[in-house]
Amino acid sequence: MLGKFFESLYNKVFVNIVIQGSITSIYMQECSKKDVLRTVQQDFNTLTVNEEILSFVSSYIKETPFYYVAILDMSTEQGAVPTCDKNRVSFFHNMTSSEYKCKDEKWTYYTGKVELYGIEKNYKEVGLDFIFSPFTLVSNFFKDKINSDVALYILAEENTLSLCIFEHSELLFAKYLIVNTVDAGTYDMSDASLELINEGVNLDEVNALEEMEDLDDLDDFGDIEDLDGIEEIDEFSQINENEEEFHEEAMLPEGNDENFTRDYDRFTQIQETLGSFYNDKKYDSQFVQSVYIADSVGVSSELKKFLEEEMFLSVYIRHIDLGEELAKLSKLELLNEA
Amino acid sequence: MKHSYITPRHKSALTQDVQLLLSFFTITILMLFSTYTFLIYKNYVFTSEKETVIIEKNQLKVSLSSMKSKIEYIEKQKMLSEGIYTKNIVLKDSMVNLFDLVPTRITLSEAKLQEKGLILYGITPNKDVYNFMLQAPLRSIFHRTYSSFYPAKNGWLHFVSTNYIDEEDIASEH
Repeated sequence: MLGKFFESLYNKVFVNIVIQGSITSIYMQECSKKDVLRTVQQDFNTLTVNEEILSFVSSYIKETPFYYVAILDMSTEQGAVPTCDKNRVSFFHNMTSSEYKCKDEKWTYYTGKVELYGIEKNYKEVGLDFIFSPFTLVSNFFKDKINSDVALYILAEENTLSLCIFEHSELLFAKYLIVNTVDAGTYDMSDASLELINEGVNLDEVNALEEMEDLDDLDDFGDIEDLDGIEEIDEFSQINENEEEFHEEAMLPEGNDENFTRDYDRFTQIQETLGSFYNDKKYDSQFVQSVYIADSVGVSSELKKFLEEEMFLSVYIRHIDLGEELAKLSKLELLNEA
Repeated sequence: MKHSYITPRHKSALTQDVQLLLSFFTITILMLFSTYTFLIYKNYVFTSEKETVIIEKNQLKVSLSSMKSKIEYIEKQKMLSEGIYTKNIVLKDSMVNLFDLVPTRITLSEAKLQEKGLILYGITPNKDVYNFMLQAPLRSIFHRTYSSFYPAKNGWLHFVSTNYIDEEDIASEH
């Protein structure tokens, strides 16, 4: 009772750490009981917690003991499976070395225990209060969409993609992918973690490429020219309505060579992953006709073009401020704690 | 429903600064409270002492008035005793004088001293001895003197002399 009283006297500060490539972005949000009082964002050209970051964070948290530091999980061993049943979870993934949590009694997201401890260790100077899975962030960000028909939802970060397929709020498939791992190598993780990253990428790429050959099944759609009349189909006309909502976000930058390469990498990863979803008997494969991209890095129009032209997907891109979304999740978490 | 893999660190409003501030305020409040309590106690003691003193003062007043009345009474008694003593002295002197008055030839058998009178019983050889030697001085002292005689077996006379002092005459004399 006394603690609640004291808590009400202080503002809450949410410190959200976002890693984008070789940059650590700190997004601060100071909130009163009802309102957001101020937000500050600053980028640091480092991946470790240095003096500069510490002094920046300290300058905002020194006024209140109620500050919460959140970070998005960047473990390579993370993912999500479409069940909460402990007996069925192992059917999708071996959880012995994983930390996992059930969401909405419908699906489970997990991450590697060792990497989780590694993240906590790397940020021990500033201290972490929340480590969120990108899959919960995606489901929360697209909570107005995931209760609709089957669609692919992607969180696009600088070097990673978090893909998940939802149908009426039920997770069908999820995968965490590393894009352009050569550039991402500057992140100071343990050797074991880097090894795991490399292993994960290699295995995924090899398997996915092999499975791409199975995409011949897509021939079942018949002549591609039949798709010219796609807008005449009712379901797709409904999608056009959604497209209006994303109109503002659809103003995408023209890609330069570097962006083009990166977006092409993203496209191939998405294509391969969708292929593995269609072919893996473990998953309840359904035809995905829409893809919603939560764009945190500013993907170029090329990615949208690739997905629309090569995979015949309806692509909707919504810009996401990862720091702000992490702050939202932190607040939600605190509400649940209370 | 929890989203985070880890639980947040415990947050307490009691930071070091707040703890220091609270300690300071607590000590100050305790000191003020103890001072207040001490003052209340002292006030209570003072009030009770004051009440006791007032009661004692009243008692002393009562005692003083009682003693005054006793002193008055004692003084009166003293005055009375002095009066009695004086009277006794006077009476003694009177008695001595009286017995000095009685000549050797007259024998007194009884004398009754009254407030305003003196009755003498005795024996005299004869009336003349009595009249000249005893009645004359008695008449000079008392206002009224009455004598009666009756014969004794040996030929002498028993006498009864009754003498009175009148109040009016005493007042007029004063």
